[in-house]
Amino acid sequence: MRRRNTPALGRALGLAAIVCLVATLVVLGALPRGLAQSKTLYVGITLPLTGADAEDAELIKDGALLAIEQQNAKGGVAGYKIEPIILDNGTATAGQYDPAQAATNIRKLVANVGVVANIGPQMSGSGKAMSPILSEADLATITPSSTNPDITDPKFASQYRPNGKAVYFRTVTTDAYQGPNMANFMAEKLRVKSVYVLDDSGAYGVGMADAFQKRAGVKGMKVLGRDQLNPKEADYTTVLTKIKGLNPDAIYYGGVAQAGVKLAKQAYDVVPKLIKAGGDGVQGASFLKAGFPAVDGWYSTIAGPHVTEDPKAQAIVQAFKKRWGKNPDDYSITAYDAALVIMDAIKRVAASGKPVDRHSVRDAIQTTHLMTVQGLISFDENGDIKNRVVSVFQYRHNKEFPDDDILHQIKYIGIAPQD
Amino acid sequence: MTFHDILLQQVINGLSLGAMYSLLALGFTMVYGIIELINFAHFNVFMVGSFIAMFVLEGIGLRGQARVLTGVPLVNALVLAFGITMLVSGLIGVAIERTALRPMRHVKGTAAMITTIGISYILFNVILLTVGAQAQNYPNPLPAGTWHLGGAVLRLREVLLWVVSLALMAALHVFVRRTKMGKAMRATAQDQEAARMMGVEVDQVVMLTFFIGSALAGAAGLIFGLYYNYTSFLIGYQAGLRAFTAAVLGGIGNIVGAMLGGLVIGLIESVGGQLLAVRWTDVIIFSILIAVLVFRPAGLLGLSTPQRS
Amino acid sequence: MADVTPTPAADVDAGAAAARAGAPWVAQLGARLLGPIQWVPAAARARVGAGAALAAALLFPAVVRNGGDIDAMANALAFAILALGLNIVVGFAGLLDLGYAAFFAIGAYTYGIVASGQVHPLWSPLWEPLRWLGLVGRFHIAGAPDTVQMHFSFWLMLPGAALVAAFFGILFGAPTLRLKGDYLAIVTLGFGEIVPIVVRNTPTLTNGAMGLNGVISPQIFGYRFGVNALPFYYLGVVMIALLIFISYRLKDSRIGRAWMAIREDEIAAGAMGVNRTRLKLLAFAVGAAFAGATGTYYVAKLQTATPEMFMFPVSVMILVMIVLGGTGNPAGVVVGALILQLLQSWFLQDVTQWTHALGRLVGSPWLQRVELVQSIELIFGIILVVMMLFRREGLIPATRTTAALSLAEQAAQPSRGGIGVTLSGIRKVELPVGTPLLETRGLTKRFGGITAVRDVDLVVQPHTIVGLIGPNGSGKTTFFNLVTGLDVPDGGRVFFMGRDITGRPAHEIVERGIARTFQTLRLFNNMTVLENVLVGMHARTRASAVGAVVRPPSVRAEEAAAREWALEVLRIFGNRLLPRVNHLASSLSYANRRRLEIARAVASRPQLLLLDEPTAGMNPAETMELADQIRSLKEMGLTVLLIEHKLGVVNDISDRVAVLDYGEKIAEGRAEEVQRNDDVIRAYLGRTSAARV
Repeated sequence: MRRRNTPALGRALGLAAIVCLVATLVVLGALPRGLAQSKTLYVGITLPLTGADAEDAELIKDGALLAIEQQNAKGGVAGYKIEPIILDNGTATAGQYDPAQAATNIRKLVANVGVVANIGPQMSGSGKAMSPILSEADLATITPSSTNPDITDPKFASQYRPNGKAVYFRTVTTDAYQGPNMANFMAEKLRVKSVYVLDDSGAYGVGMADAFQKRAGVKGMKVLGRDQLNPKEADYTTVLTKIKGLNPDAIYYGGVAQAGVKLAKQAYDVVPKLIKAGGDGVQGASFLKAGFPAVDGWYSTIAGPHVTEDPKAQAIVQAFKKRWGKNPDDYSITAYDAALVIMDAIKRVAASGKPVDRHSVRDAIQTTHLMTVQGLISFDENGDIKNRVVSVFQYRHNKEFPDDDILHQIKYIGIAPQD
Repeated sequence: MTFHDILLQQVINGLSLGAMYSLLALGFTMVYGIIELINFAHFNVFMVGSFIAMFVLEGIGLRGQARVLTGVPLVNALVLAFGITMLVSGLIGVAIERTALRPMRHVKGTAAMITTIGISYILFNVILLTVGAQAQNYPNPLPAGTWHLGGAVLRLREVLLWVVSLALMAALHVFVRRTKMGKAMRATAQDQEAARMMGVEVDQVVMLTFFIGSALAGAAGLIFGLYYNYTSFLIGYQAGLRAFTAAVLGGIGNIVGAMLGGLVIGLIESVGGQLLAVRWTDVIIFSILIAVLVFRPAGLLGLSTPQRS
Repeated sequence: MADVTPTPAADVDAGAAAARAGAPWVAQLGARLLGPIQWVPAAARARVGAGAALAAALLFPAVVRNGGDIDAMANALAFAILALGLNIVVGFAGLLDLGYAAFFAIGAYTYGIVASGQVHPLWSPLWEPLRWLGLVGRFHIAGAPDTVQMHFSFWLMLPGAALVAAFFGILFGAPTLRLKGDYLAIVTLGFGEIVPIVVRNTPTLTNGAMGLNGVISPQIFGYRFGVNALPFYYLGVVMIALLIFISYRLKDSRIGRAWMAIREDEIAAGAMGVNRTRLKLLAFAVGAAFAGATGTYYVAKLQTATPEMFMFPVSVMILVMIVLGGTGNPAGVVVGALILQLLQSWFLQDVTQWTHALGRLVGSPWLQRVELVQSIELIFGIILVVMMLFRREGLIPATRTTAALSLAEQAAQPSRGGIGVTLSGIRKVELPVGTPLLETRGLTKRFGGITAVRDVDLVVQPHTIVGLIGPNGSGKTTFFNLVTGLDVPDGGRVFFMGRDITGRPAHEIVERGIARTFQTLRLFNNMTVLENVLVGMHARTRASAVGAVVRPPSVRAEEAAAREWALEVLRIFGNRLLPRVNHLASSLSYANRRRLEIARAVASRPQLLLLDEPTAGMNPAETMELADQIRSLKEMGLTVLLIEHKLGVVNDISDRVAVLDYGEKIAEGRAEEVQRNDDVIRAYLGRTSAARV
């Protein structure tokens, strides 16, 4: 009897399990729309929160969430509670950010009529997949970190915004400014004659390093070489030893902190005397915290005026530390500001008496004129931030403050010369 | 720096890298030798090991780059860190084998390998969720000693890396060659059934193999942290892949081969990166690997191709 | 009730199967859940299942309606196709490929490059034909030379990219052919790593890390897909239906059986006439073609591509999909792929919102605050491990269970006095007078310092049975290996029907008419009895991969004839094998496995049959039965060369006997002559009796 019963029992159990699972999925799937409160507006947050890109994505998410939570605690925006819908742009399949998943997530948000705007993506690769879908749905996204110029370039407008209106807004400048301005700074202020250019293989880093390299040539700097770091690799001594052999005046690194920290640590040992510089990827708490003391002397830039000594910025940094137990980086701030821009747009739409939906919110974002800690935020007709000041900093150790205190361990140098 | 100096420096770099790959490759090759399993969990046991060691070092008051030790305190700190890290990593390996892999032992094909991939995801994400995604500033108690060899620089941490790796590998070699348990291990690798009939406790041998392999991975994690002064939840992938390649290059299942394979990969990486661009490093490594395997299908030191019919 | 039936023989078989499956009831669960209707005939069941699946697929968007979920499904379909393709390489042919995403990348970039503005070479008249076909345009800007605007048709590039990927499949496959198992895996892993790096490092062609811009979406009858997920979803359904069909057609064909034979036992497959080189390359090419087409689909849907989309984790995940679904079973791998992909991109993504909704429902503020999105991968890993622990053979295992035999079927009917049937496919060869069927001259083989076969001259005349005897280790099996091409001799020559066949590959020797069995049984264990015999027919059938899929009348006729012939061959052994034609070879008893080996060899319609200890492990009655059957084979026109330790059998059926000792032939002649030979007694009997002391 046992030989006959066991499979039958197993089959019954298995069937029951599958039926339960399907039923649960169906019921739960139907729930959110049915139970949503009427005075709730949804804002998507789509970032690669799992896998290899989780490091920066987490800080961005936390920045955006902080702004939303603070506003909700004050009673929301014009009577609306803002609820974030956080979706993961990373998949186990890709092991990191997955543009296909980014596109899927955006379609999910598009399908939910309560969603009025989105914050994300982190990566331009995802942005390229998202932008046409956003355009079709007339749903705006604000990216706090994706800087590849293609997406907002009018040259590609027919591909990335076929419906004409800008939907891909940025609270960061594109690579088109930071790299070149830093090249100007290095040539004019630091008198750099020769430079070796590195990037971290990512779209952001490659774009920035390309732009730097081009401008460096114009300014008469000799580019002794250009190579790409694998951000997943631990060892950069090979390329640094090679650089040591070429003996340039400076290294310029385009990329984010993931490879930047390792580069800084190993450069500290191998080529301690060279001038080292990067963009906003090496400006921030995570770079300092993981890289101290090797980061000492590094130049960095941010795509905006210097404001962090501003008491208002201090308040945000403190609130962030209190809420999440860690230091924010610049992308946390740009994400915070992205959330502010969205909520400001909602407020203006509500005040004007128009219905608050994704169309009116997009139009309102386009006309943003908002003072934030990173300066005045307003967008041009492509969605790019108008404020294109690039500020230069240098890490200089100050013994009176904790080693990882980003506010006191980095010194503002000035505004990089523009063309 | 003359080209000669640079090349020497790259060889020093390559040997350091290689020593680490070798330690990591040993775990792959031993497990493969015993139960013919490609253990993807090994990637992240290495990563977890570097975090365990970091907690130990921070636990004894060494945080960040602030404190440098010399002499006896340094040796004590290192012995303690290595001891605890290797023990805990080894136990993680045993736990993985015991809970997830033993039930799979007699399942043909790739099911067990897929299980190790699942475990790898778990380890990876446990660290991501508990410690966080940010790169960690690793404790650095080593004094900054350097020697100059012409234009090339040899640092204390490189010497330490070599000495510890060599010592661990030598110990493993002696263990496998000279002890009764080591003999049981080799017998099991040759023929599990025959070994069982000769009274070898195969389950114990497999468990021990996982313990040793994982302990070495943990040690490699600690060395990694000390050498590069940082760790993050991401470090397992690239190092693990290279180490796996090293194990195959040396002849998978062959302990001396794994050591040699690690060094070869390390040297290819550094010297190849010097002569070409580092963005082509992986292409160089894998091209050489393919060429070696095509002409010597059993790897550099492999005697015969494993038959899996 | 079923217990009333005594099942002694079946118990042995079931026991073996159970040991293999680990927990048998678990292994059967999936099959039973998905094909539970036992009274519906198997073929109809498959059709009903396929129809139901197709109907569900077509209705899915109407039920779900959420663009994101449809999109997730469309992506999952792409991965299911990839899983089907990898299944051909790994599941069918048993070649472990850890770099499969490389072909996905090649397909994606092939279309991506020719359907975006990425490359625009200068215009030259050479492009005119392509412009005439509507694949490129001439782009004119005032003040600059004209350039080429590429906008190749998606529908053309779908097969086009598949062909390009297949070409690379052959290119990558070629150096790996000699490698086995994990060495093959690491080389494929190497290619998998190299391809995305090359893509990243050639920005002029691919735009490198920045990703392609504006890949054109497909257009059909004036309707452009754009960013609408729905048409892509339906296209995906069509593609997957087609590729599942192709997979099943291939699996159940001469090609598929040859692949599975390579998977089960490469050496034996070669010895049965399977051209291993060609079939492995074919597997690589077909697998790569699937991936190439998928790449085109995927990149057209996404309208961009970055190198990061094709890294090692992708290859691993596709492998996970097929193992989880049931390696070797197309339906299984599709289910595995859909589950894993939807789990990540749909269910786990939404689980946070569902938890929040549940929290609102039950009024739990804690549940409303839970944020699970960062734990997706952790949950995914746990699910993976648990699934593997409890469903080791995959959700839908490829090997199906078979009904138990009836009492009558189980009862063996020992037959004496030969086969009692004639085999239509066996014909007597006519050779010129004086030409032996097989002749070796000075055949020599050394392994390191040992000479396993030394200077052996042997002549086998047609329509005889020649016994080859000698103590263990005297070189008999090596001699067989040299004749059948499994080993290459170090010296000497082998002539078959007057032609030199020395050093020819094994499959070619089978084609010429020599078939063999193995001393250490080398059956294709996870194939049925019938399939084993059909593999033996490989050299005598012609169906190509295309033929196997399309099944024109010629292929149908060939397949039908092959099956008929296979059953005819199995009939040699009365009811020993016939009732078990659909059982797995691994479930057979030892004696039946020996019989199956012989049947498999005879199926290739040989002139010369090499039997390596055919009666080993048989009891005296079975031995005598088989001896009679071998004699009947000779009477039908076969020539037999026989290695045998049971001297009774040798004396009984051999026309001549040759004796090997230490690799040398020390005697030859009629059985009774040889047994009186002093050398033989000393070398053979003397030593064995000495060994007993």
